[in-house]
Amino acid sequence: MTESKLSIVDLTKRYAAGLDPAVDRLNMEVEEGHLVALLGPSGCGKTTTLRMVAGLMDPTAGSIVVDGKEITHTPVNKRGMGMVFQSYALFPHMNVEQNVAFGLQMRQTSKSEQKRRVAGALDMVQLGHLSKRQVKDLSGGQQQRIALARALVVEPTLLLLDEPLSNLDAKLRETMRTEIRSIQQRTRATTLFVTHDQDEALDMADRIAVMNGGLIEQFGSPTDVYERPRTRFVANFIGQANFLNARVLSETGSAAKGETHYRVSIDGLGQFGAVGAPGLTGSTHELVIRPHRLRVSLQPAGTETIAGVIERVNYTGDALSVAVKAGDRVLQSQMPTSSGDLPRTGDAAYLSWNEQDAYLLPTPVKEPAA
Amino acid sequence: MRVITKGKIALAAAATAAALVLTGCGGSAGSSSGGNSSATSGELNLIAYSGVWQDQYTAAVIEPFKAKYPDIKINYSSKRSSAEMLSALQGQKNNPATDVAIMDNSVSTTGNTQGLFDKIDPAAVPNLANVPEQFKNKGGFGPVVMLDAVGLLYDTATFPKAPESWDVLWDPAYAGKINVNAPPSLLGLSLTAITSKMEGEDYTKSIDKAVARLKEMAPGVQTFAPNPDEYQNVITGQTVLGLGQNARGQFYSDQSNKKMGVTFPKEGTVYQINTVNVVKDAPNKAAAQTFVDYALSAEAQTAFAKALFYAPSVTNADLPADVKDRVVPTDGSLNIVPLDVEFLSSARDKWTDTWKRQIITK
Amino acid sequence: MTVTQTEAPAARRAGAAEGELEKSTGRRNRRTYLALLIPGVLGLVVSFVFPLAYMVRMSFNKGAPDGVIEETFTLDTYIQPLTDPYYWRVTLDTFQMGVTVGLLCVLVSYPVALFLARSTSKYRGLLIAVAIAPLLTSAVVRTYGWMVILGTNGLVNSTLDGMGLIDTPLKLTNNMTGVTIGLVEIFMPYAILAMISGFGRLSPQLEEAAGSLGASKLQIFTRVTLPLSLPGILTAFLLVFVLSISTFITPRLLGGGSVQVLATEIYDQTTGLLNWPFAAALSVILLVLFGLIIAVYQRLTKKIGG
Ligand SMILES: Nc1ncnc2c1ncn2[C@@H]1O[C@H](COP(=O)(O)OP(=O)(O)OP(=O)(O)O)[C@@H](O)[C@H]1O
Ligand SMILES: [Mg+2]
Repeated sequence: MTESKLSIVDLTKRYAAGLDPAVDRLNMEVEEGHLVALLGPSGCGKTTTLRMVAGLMDPTAGSIVVDGKEITHTPVNKRGMGMVFQSYALFPHMNVEQNVAFGLQMRQTSKSEQKRRVAGALDMVQLGHLSKRQVKDLSGGQQQRIALARALVVEPTLLLLDEPLSNLDAKLRETMRTEIRSIQQRTRATTLFVTHDQDEALDMADRIAVMNGGLIEQFGSPTDVYERPRTRFVANFIGQANFLNARVLSETGSAAKGETHYRVSIDGLGQFGAVGAPGLTGSTHELVIRPHRLRVSLQPAGTETIAGVIERVNYTGDALSVAVKAGDRVLQSQMPTSSGDLPRTGDAAYLSWNEQDAYLLPTPVKEPAA
Repeated sequence: MRVITKGKIALAAAATAAALVLTGCGGSAGSSSGGNSSATSGELNLIAYSGVWQDQYTAAVIEPFKAKYPDIKINYSSKRSSAEMLSALQGQKNNPATDVAIMDNSVSTTGNTQGLFDKIDPAAVPNLANVPEQFKNKGGFGPVVMLDAVGLLYDTATFPKAPESWDVLWDPAYAGKINVNAPPSLLGLSLTAITSKMEGEDYTKSIDKAVARLKEMAPGVQTFAPNPDEYQNVITGQTVLGLGQNARGQFYSDQSNKKMGVTFPKEGTVYQINTVNVVKDAPNKAAAQTFVDYALSAEAQTAFAKALFYAPSVTNADLPADVKDRVVPTDGSLNIVPLDVEFLSSARDKWTDTWKRQIITK
Repeated sequence: MTVTQTEAPAARRAGAAEGELEKSTGRRNRRTYLALLIPGVLGLVVSFVFPLAYMVRMSFNKGAPDGVIEETFTLDTYIQPLTDPYYWRVTLDTFQMGVTVGLLCVLVSYPVALFLARSTSKYRGLLIAVAIAPLLTSAVVRTYGWMVILGTNGLVNSTLDGMGLIDTPLKLTNNMTGVTIGLVEIFMPYAILAMISGFGRLSPQLEEAAGSLGASKLQIFTRVTLPLSLPGILTAFLLVFVLSISTFITPRLLGGGSVQVLATEIYDQTTGLLNWPFAAALSVILLVLFGLIIAVYQRLTKKIGG
């Protein structure tokens, strides 16, 4: 195993005795140069984790190791990290240049060096022309960039961003997303990025830590997390999903990346192909199918289809989302809008999927006592 | 050039109030109408000193008066000093709301010349006959109603025997433990005159020598404006010597179980004299005369001497020996430094200024 | 072509009508605002403008002994204090007292205000209430309290004496020392309130940001906390300064007659010597002093961008 840039070991934070921990024995390894998104619903402990890494808050237990050195109790100003706050926290009594130079001054960098690096950092965020501007005369996006420049100019061991885009409007958020990502890749700053926006995480991160209730539910690459969610929570939180309880009947061969093809039986709907981790035969698992991977056709096609009736059609411009009632279940499907005949409510519909798009969650569903 | 008084201010304030209220239903505006009182009934508005003086005068004089004239209702308006009373009366000049004023002789003299007071009618105030000539006003205005004098207050623990000379104020042993009320207080004015006389100077001409001497004393003065008052300063031990009035001094001496004493040093002292005056155009003139007459009665004079140790101004008040010993003598046995009223009126501002600029040190 | 020609004036007319409509609603709004202002302005005129005008007028009269006022127009009342070194000294002392009390008050109130402003405790509201609770007792009462504490046999002297630190009691009252101590304490609640409300730009996040950029606790204070609390500090200083130089009770009671400032001088002239014109002139001078300091304050706040 390669030495990681940041290791978090059993990190725990309990705000007060008697309260449930806000962060509960959290473990994470972050590779050098990676951008890791901490993703999760509100209150799941993202900010708490980030603040402990930054040194703004003492953990109740556990340790934080950066570059092989334990820094759990190192004071914040000795950690050499760069932090960007949700509200940017630019110093209102300093101009742009002074804000960016602050960290260098604290490091007693020489005047000429300061000048050079501040100019470099401002150029990087494309705001070199605003160096003398007062902070209060900047737009939100500009403030955001200055905050980023201020954090990066000190060449931090870790860059920590707490929901840096949440105060921006939707358009600007997209632009800044790309920009932060490209700056991060250029500087190769190892970055922890807190967000509760799944698109942001999927778009920007090398790794995503999906958090829930103080725990990491899954830590993996965006495709992993999206395509191969480990839990129902992850599948649900990232994108939409149809869940079907499926009894795994038999293995039908090995699939890519060490996975196995299975034959499964879904109550009342028949037998189908699916894929999942090895060794699931005999138990019941939840089958996850993303709506846009669920094909809807108005004519029966092939054998492994589910027949149903279209219950609702929602036209969203780019796509058509279709709810199909099959037995007592309602399945969501998405299809492109240009596909000829548009289905209508009440039409008969036939659902099918590719075997590798139907993923069995690794943890078995507790069977109701037979 | 027109001479006005503070009546203008009162008028202006009244106009403002009227503008605000708009209707005339605002309470006791009827004091100016007057006339509905007789010599034995109606209201009487008295303006006089506050504090212990008010307490004792109420108990010794006003209550018995009320018992005697149950139909007269007395409204007592208290002021901290005679100057404040004068200021109030000047404010009411065009529309008097006061009937009787008891105040310092020097201030009432100013009031007399400003036309604030009426002459006293001997027929309506029979007891005036008992006031000796020297205590009557030459112009027939309000007579002396009581006398007191400036005394030296001392801490009885420090001074088992009363100090005999004002010189003790200059004794370095007591530096920092002296309180002296600076002018315009009568106490400070008196000390200036006494010092001047001690220096062999005629203070009506110059006080240069006194000032030089007082300057020597000033660094040893703890306070030039004792608080809450000159007597409490000595009683609480903040100081051990101080200027004070004999009457209140005697009273507080008793109150403090003789922790403080008051004495008249041999070089002499200055009288503090209060007069009783009827306000010109008083709304309740008849009742006012009744009150003045009572205030000059042997009964009232004796009672107040017993209560607060002011010397009576009438010849027919008989004091018990233990009280007589403690009020200021009016029989010529005390060495008095005369501080003429007219002179004082011209010197007050100047001496006050001199103290502020030259004597009081920071 | 003709169509546009005939349409244009109509459109213009419509526009004009609209403009007029707008103007009239604007006027109506303005009239409502003015009407709403009336009670306040009337109150101000009656309680402030009128007395002030009266005072200014009074200051040009001539005061004769024993409270007689000659109604005239003279500058003597101003010439006298302005040419008299004594009044220059009194004015200077007043100014100096205001500055000293202001500085000390800010110094002792600042930590308290900072603590209260940054506190996240659930008792914060209660703590603020406690800090300003002294306002519930009158300044007179508190001044008397200080007289007891600072007196020759007071708490301070007897404690120091008991500890064997002094032989003769310190003179802590009846002088400027006493007045300063008293005023600082009496005005602390005002200073604290003014500061807390002036700390608007201060936020824990800015301090955290400075920390994350490598600033030590001391550097955070000097580079971030202090500069950002400057507007509050300045407001508190101004407030305490103005209150100090206009107060008369404490200098009077704790000054023992040795502390001569404009306010006590005005009081003496008004009630002791009954020289109202002169007292009025001194009051006007005091007002001018206020005006000066407020002008300086505005310059300063503009500079620090408060
Ligand atoms: N100072 C505190 N005292 C007590 N509990 C706290 C404190 N700060 C946070 N918490 C609790 O800890 C949990 C985690 O909070 P945290 O701020 O880390 O959440 P988050 O994931 O950042 O949420 P969000 O997306 O809303 O910012 C929450 O339940 C929160 O209520
Ligand atoms: Mg958060």
